[in-house]
Amino acid sequence: MEEKEKKKHRAKHSGPKAEKKRKRYLNDLGIGDEENARKRNPKAFTVQSAVRMARTFHRTQDLKTKKHHIPVVDRTPLEPPPVVVVVVGPPRVGKSTLIKCLIKNFTRQKLVEIRGPVTIVSGKKRRLTIIECGCDINTMIDLAKVADLVLMLIDASFGFEMETFEFLNICQVHGFPKIMGVLTHLDTFKNNKQLKKTKKKLKHRFWTEVYPGAKLFYLSGMVHGEYQKQEIHNLGRFISVMKFRPLTWQTSHPYVLVDRMEELTNPEDVRINPKCDRKVSLYGYLRGAHLKSKSQIHMPGVGDFTVSDVSFLPDPCALPEQQKKRSLNEKEKLVYAPLSGVGGIVYDKDAVYIDLGGSHAHQKEEEEVRPNNELVQSLISTHSAIDVKMASSKVSLFMDSRPLGSEDVGQEFVMPKEERQVDLKTGRVRRKALFEEEEKENDDAVSDEEDDQEEEEAMSEDGSDGDDEDDAEEESDRELLGEEVALGRAKRLKTEMAREEAMNELPAFADSDDDLEMSSEGEEKTALEENEMEEDEEDEEEEDEQRTYENESSDSEFEAASKRVAESKQYEINSEDAEMRSQVSDHSLKRKAVLTTDSGNCTAEEASESEAENSSLDEGDDEGSHGEDANRKGFQHAQAKKADSIRQTKPKALEAEDDDDVENLLREEEEYEEKIDFSTDTTGALKWKEDLTQKAAEAFLRQQRSTPNLRKLIYGTAVEDEDHESEDAGDELGGLFHVSRPDKASKQKANALDCSKFLIEKPQDWDLEEVVSSIRDCFVTGRWEDDKDAAKLLEEDEELYGDFEDLETGVVHKGKSAAEGDESGSEDDTEDGKMSKPEPEEEEKKKERMDKKRKLKEMFNAEYDEGDATYFDDLKEEMHKQAQLNRAEFEDQDDETRVQYEGFRPGMYVRIEIENVPCEFVLNFDPHYPIILGGLGNSEGNVGYVQLRLKKHRWYKKILKTRDPVILSLGWRRFQTIPMFYIEDHNGRHRLLKYTPQHMHCGATFWGPITPQGTGFLAVQSVSGATPDFRIAATGVVLDLDKSITIVKKLKLTGFPFKIFKNTSFIKGMFNSQLEVAKFEGAAIRTVSGIRGQIKKALRTPVGAFRATFEDKLLMSDIVFVRTWYPVSIPTFYNPVTSLLKPAGEKDSWSGMKTTGQLRHERGIKLKQNKDSLYKPIVREKRHFNKLHIPKALQKALPFKNKPKNLEKKGKTPKDQWRPAVIREPHEKKISALLSALSTVNNYKIKKAKVKHREQLKEYLKVKQKEDEQKFKRQKEAKKKIYRILGQREKKRQKSSLKGSSKGEKSM
Amino acid sequence: MAGEAQCLSYAGCNFLRQRLVLSTLSGRPLKIRKIRAKEEDPGLRDFEASFIRLIDKVTNGSRIEINQTGTTLYYQPGLLYGGSLEHDCSPSRSIGYYLESLLCLAPFMKHPLKIVLRGVTNDQVDPSVDILKATALPLLKKFGIDGESLEIKINRRGMPPKAGGEILFSCPVRKVLQPVQFTDPGKIKRIRGTAYSVRVSPQMANRMVESARSILNKFLPDIYIYTDHMKGVSSGKSPGFGMCLTAETINGTILSAELASNPQGQGATVLPEELGQNCAKLLLEEIYRGGCVDSTNQSLALLLMTLGQRDVSKVLLGPLSPYTIEFLRHLRSFFQIMFKIETKTPEEEHMGGEKVLMTCVGIGFSNLSKTIR
Repeated sequence: MEEKEKKKHRAKHSGPKAEKKRKRYLNDLGIGDEENARKRNPKAFTVQSAVRMARTFHRTQDLKTKKHHIPVVDRTPLEPPPVVVVVVGPPRVGKSTLIKCLIKNFTRQKLVEIRGPVTIVSGKKRRLTIIECGCDINTMIDLAKVADLVLMLIDASFGFEMETFEFLNICQVHGFPKIMGVLTHLDTFKNNKQLKKTKKKLKHRFWTEVYPGAKLFYLSGMVHGEYQKQEIHNLGRFISVMKFRPLTWQTSHPYVLVDRMEELTNPEDVRINPKCDRKVSLYGYLRGAHLKSKSQIHMPGVGDFTVSDVSFLPDPCALPEQQKKRSLNEKEKLVYAPLSGVGGIVYDKDAVYIDLGGSHAHQKEEEEVRPNNELVQSLISTHSAIDVKMASSKVSLFMDSRPLGSEDVGQEFVMPKEERQVDLKTGRVRRKALFEEEEKENDDAVSDEEDDQEEEEAMSEDGSDGDDEDDAEEESDRELLGEEVALGRAKRLKTEMAREEAMNELPAFADSDDDLEMSSEGEEKTALEENEMEEDEEDEEEEDEQRTYENESSDSEFEAASKRVAESKQYEINSEDAEMRSQVSDHSLKRKAVLTTDSGNCTAEEASESEAENSSLDEGDDEGSHGEDANRKGFQHAQAKKADSIRQTKPKALEAEDDDDVENLLREEEEYEEKIDFSTDTTGALKWKEDLTQKAAEAFLRQQRSTPNLRKLIYGTAVEDEDHESEDAGDELGGLFHVSRPDKASKQKANALDCSKFLIEKPQDWDLEEVVSSIRDCFVTGRWEDDKDAAKLLEEDEELYGDFEDLETGVVHKGKSAAEGDESGSEDDTEDGKMSKPEPEEEEKKKERMDKKRKLKEMFNAEYDEGDATYFDDLKEEMHKQAQLNRAEFEDQDDETRVQYEGFRPGMYVRIEIENVPCEFVLNFDPHYPIILGGLGNSEGNVGYVQLRLKKHRWYKKILKTRDPVILSLGWRRFQTIPMFYIEDHNGRHRLLKYTPQHMHCGATFWGPITPQGTGFLAVQSVSGATPDFRIAATGVVLDLDKSITIVKKLKLTGFPFKIFKNTSFIKGMFNSQLEVAKFEGAAIRTVSGIRGQIKKALRTPVGAFRATFEDKLLMSDIVFVRTWYPVSIPTFYNPVTSLLKPAGEKDSWSGMKTTGQLRHERGIKLKQNKDSLYKPIVREKRHFNKLHIPKALQKALPFKNKPKNLEKKGKTPKDQWRPAVIREPHEKKISALLSALSTVNNYKIKKAKVKHREQLKEYLKVKQKEDEQKFKRQKEAKKKIYRILGQREKKRQKSSLKGSSKGEKSM
Repeated sequence: MAGEAQCLSYAGCNFLRQRLVLSTLSGRPLKIRKIRAKEEDPGLRDFEASFIRLIDKVTNGSRIEINQTGTTLYYQPGLLYGGSLEHDCSPSRSIGYYLESLLCLAPFMKHPLKIVLRGVTNDQVDPSVDILKATALPLLKKFGIDGESLEIKINRRGMPPKAGGEILFSCPVRKVLQPVQFTDPGKIKRIRGTAYSVRVSPQMANRMVESARSILNKFLPDIYIYTDHMKGVSSGKSPGFGMCLTAETINGTILSAELASNPQGQGATVLPEELGQNCAKLLLEEIYRGGCVDSTNQSLALLLMTLGQRDVSKVLLGPLSPYTIEFLRHLRSFFQIMFKIETKTPEEEHMGGEKVLMTCVGIGFSNLSKTIR
């Protein structure tokens, strides 16, 4: 049988296998399948839908811009203040425990009791100030304003408490600091599932309050009364790496979280009047913005004050010095909490305190920092102020050693140090107050010299020396007492005196720069070193003295001065001096010239005035001899003389042009003296008269030029003022003399012409060539600087792009070899100074190369970044530049000068003195309550009307009433005030509201402190006691500040018509006089029924009546009213909450003004209600309308149809028309009775049948409905079936057609 | 307890404007005693009274108390209000006297200021309106106070003694000012100016221009001096002529000088040629002094720097005028601000006199009057 040919294998074209194969095949080819096509050729798939693409683009842009914040200049200082961490939560949630654990974690120290803020070093660059916040709403409000980070403790076993939400709301209002939740008491959950559930629930609730994704920390449980070490460690890590956003209020105001308080009141004053206002000094890190001294501050809970003094102290909790290493060593893990009694010794401006807080638990750990127990015991002496205590206490470090007085302690720590100096001649022991810098340069000779001077001063009869004599007496006293005598308070005074003496001893320099003193002393020192030439040395020394005298002494004092000089055996100099003096007196004319020429210059004026003083002194006043006066005069005098000297030594001065050092000036003065001698000897006295005006002008300009002079000229010296103050105090102490100082203001021409023009006294001659050339380069036609000159720049560019080869032409362009120029430059250099080494040359080259590189890089950057530099980027860049400039500007200056320019910068540890603090603040001081000093901006200390946008808090149960006092927290302050609520009408009218709307914003105006617009606030009704309800009544923001208000309330004036014409009526009772009516002429009026009208004109009688027109006729019963708006006055009530002044334990019970409601409730007074305002049922009387009466005449005239018809009552029907009564027969009666009975029966039957029929119908309808429903259902089913079939058929048809086409396609 | 800021006390009527302006801006009350107490005619003069009235007009809620003789003035500032106003200035001082202070106050009002001032537009004592228009407005623009509404419009010119001039000054309101770094004045690229004449021959202006050009042409070719001859009502009530010149640098610094003829019936008559030459020389003198702000506006620049945000501002000035020096002192007492003052010698030889570099950190002032919506 022939084998049938086998069916050939046909490869599968469809099915999964074929599909797989095809895929593999395509993959092998590298083409891939359909999905991969997207990957393979993405460009082909980019735009599928333009709309969609636009949308995605839009969305990405939205997201991008959403991330943008308005860039602000970064003003954070290089060494920021410690971060304020506020630990907050309801009571017994574990706040203190957490703080203790954190401190232990960071510092390895265990604090027993925590009072007030605790500052710790948490890392190389970060410090923390941790403070606990109780549940008092005052504390919560205050701390929310200063917090950088809030650790919000939540008792997980209990859930959220009201305090938590209140604090969150307070934070929201006053700028939102970083908030981190911490769940505690998690060990109370035994069931793991429930724990998980609770955690999740709390987390999500927390997120809705803060922001989704806010960090919530879990502290699982306690071990030996502490949290688990690892968890606390993690929490610490979180805190120390956290970043903070700048908050507007905090960055624009300086503030201090006080961590130490000292009272400085004079104990005597307190003794006399225990309730007298106190002077306190408060310490803390300055935060926020720069603080200027003499600025206004607010202490929440106490009140407003003016800072009387600010000084910065060395940082008690400094960051580690070097940053290189990875972790801190034990010594650098500092903790500073004076209120809790940690930290041991504290340094003040002029004293050292050893704080003896009750914590003894950590003595062993702090052996090196804290004093010995015995030492502590010996130091304790109660019943006296701490500084007195300090001064009088003696301690012995070893059992048998000499006890140490406070002065010994002071030697180690106090800024001014003491030095005992024994005078050889008199054998006196003197104490001199030395400052550190001084000490280096001082030596015995100086003191000798001073002693000499002192002696001389003692000898002279000057009034100022009275103090010195006193001093001398005291000193002798001290001698008697010997070394071992403990120093009392008087001694302290003495040291001050001594310091003051030191000031007096250098009168000429008392108000000049420090370096000036240095220089003079330095001079002395160098002079002293040259001991070989003793005479010369003496000369110089005494010259110095003489100089001081010169400055101090006026012409009248000259004799005294010469006497003194004579005593010091300085005949030559004396004679020279005399010569000079004579010269000076001769030069009065010249000075006059100066005056006339320099009238625009203030110093000249001063000089003139000083001269005036001099002249007055000539007349024989000895007031000028008073030290301070002499100081100032000396200063002026010195200035005048400086001018003189400069005038005289003009060529020399030109040589040393840049030297405006006063030392130089002094030298010049010497030279000037010599020169005078010379001139008087050789060329004659008239030489100086040459070119007087020119010289004067020069001198004036020079004075303007030299910086310290200019600064001094404008501001005086900053030191000066303080000196004056201290000297004032000194005078009071002395109690003998009063300084009669000429008023500073009178020094200027007080009543001169007020003109801003800068008049030119002596114009230069612009015809002269050299004068013209002096400004030649100010014009574009002049020569340009190298870095701007176009030609030069081109050259440089050429250098930059130096050598290149033109590829097309093959020409090699060579840049000018820079070396040539360099060489020439370097040659110049070498010529200039032969000493210069070859190194600089190399360096220069290197620098040049670097320059080139930098330039290239810049160009590249410019080219590269050009594309996507947006406005935002530019703005950011600008801000960044400004920030850098801010940092760099005062960086190289020392803190003393910086403080003058900038104010005290944030991050400094400052001591702020405040006077006139209420005594309760000190007496009722409780370290558990935070003290905050908030700086106030300009005119933020003033009061005015403040407009707010306010909304009642949705959780607050009651609504707020206008004219009820509320307590607002706004800015730094908490105060009680009376707000008036209003709403703005569509026409901009502010209409008074009686109550706050329920779920809407409204306006509010109150009388209170001016606070910048945009500041948030919150209102509470009471800060005392605890209520179970939510305490925050309202929140909002400041909109506007003004000195007047525009709130009005509606006032309706009513009147009654007394005569009504057609549309005109006369109205009375609305006004009281014609004048009133005249004011309201043209006003719109209305009746209650809605007829509108207008006031026209007043009537003569009755008074206050007027004519008015209406759109319709009134009725006599109508009431007419006019709607007017009456301005509301706001009670000027502003009462700061003084909760810190309350006694300890009652600090949360401050209550201010009560609302009328409260008062009524307390006293049981019922409100007497107006009877008319009560609601009562409306009884409407039935109205009777009279008949319409138409006069007969009218009736006649009317057409028939309008004539009243048939209106007349019918008369009685006449008897003949009466109908007779029907009387039935008995038979008829029977019939009718039967008929009625039958009909009754019939009626009943019919009724019955009807009822029955109705029931039957009902039944039938029910059945019918059922049937219908079933029928409908059936039909529906059937229809469904049919449609399904139809649909299937349709589908099939479609499928088949598709298949056909697909097949067709495939086949194609 | 409601702490009113401490009252500052001064003596004498000098610098009255500065004190009132700074008091208004800082919100500190002010007391000035001994105003011409020892003179034959004691108390405030009419122009000062007019100035005080103007201050009262632009503020709301300020309290001004003057004693019977007018020798003591107590001023408690209110809030700056602004709005559309009119003020008749006293003819004894020019409008510049009033305008200078308004320039300091105008940016910090509640409503943009739009004020018509009537009086003397140009005189010999105060900076004229032309100069302020040419120099002060560009300066304000540098601090971010700009916009269309910032303008000074001279409707009528009025010369002393009878005045009759009228100007319109309008200024927008700002909440904060920008810090400036204005240390390079740049080179002068052009000189512009106005020579005005009222109720005299129009030829006077041309004569002044000629003579001024003759001097300035030595330095720069780009000089254009407009002649402005006003006629009829807009020429005021007294005859007079004068000139103001401004030199503009490539960096936008504007230095200015001006001169006006003697008022009618006072002093000798001045030749226009002479006046033109003197004015040109004054301009050269001003250029010699140099700086980025001309000498009349020094105090304005320093004030705006002070009132900036808490950023470093720098400005290079010529030698400080006595008025500026006093102003710096007042700034310190009102705002506790001190300027860092450095003298700078121009590196090149032919760049005029020594300059002063003033640096300060702004006090973080913000306009407390402006309403937010």
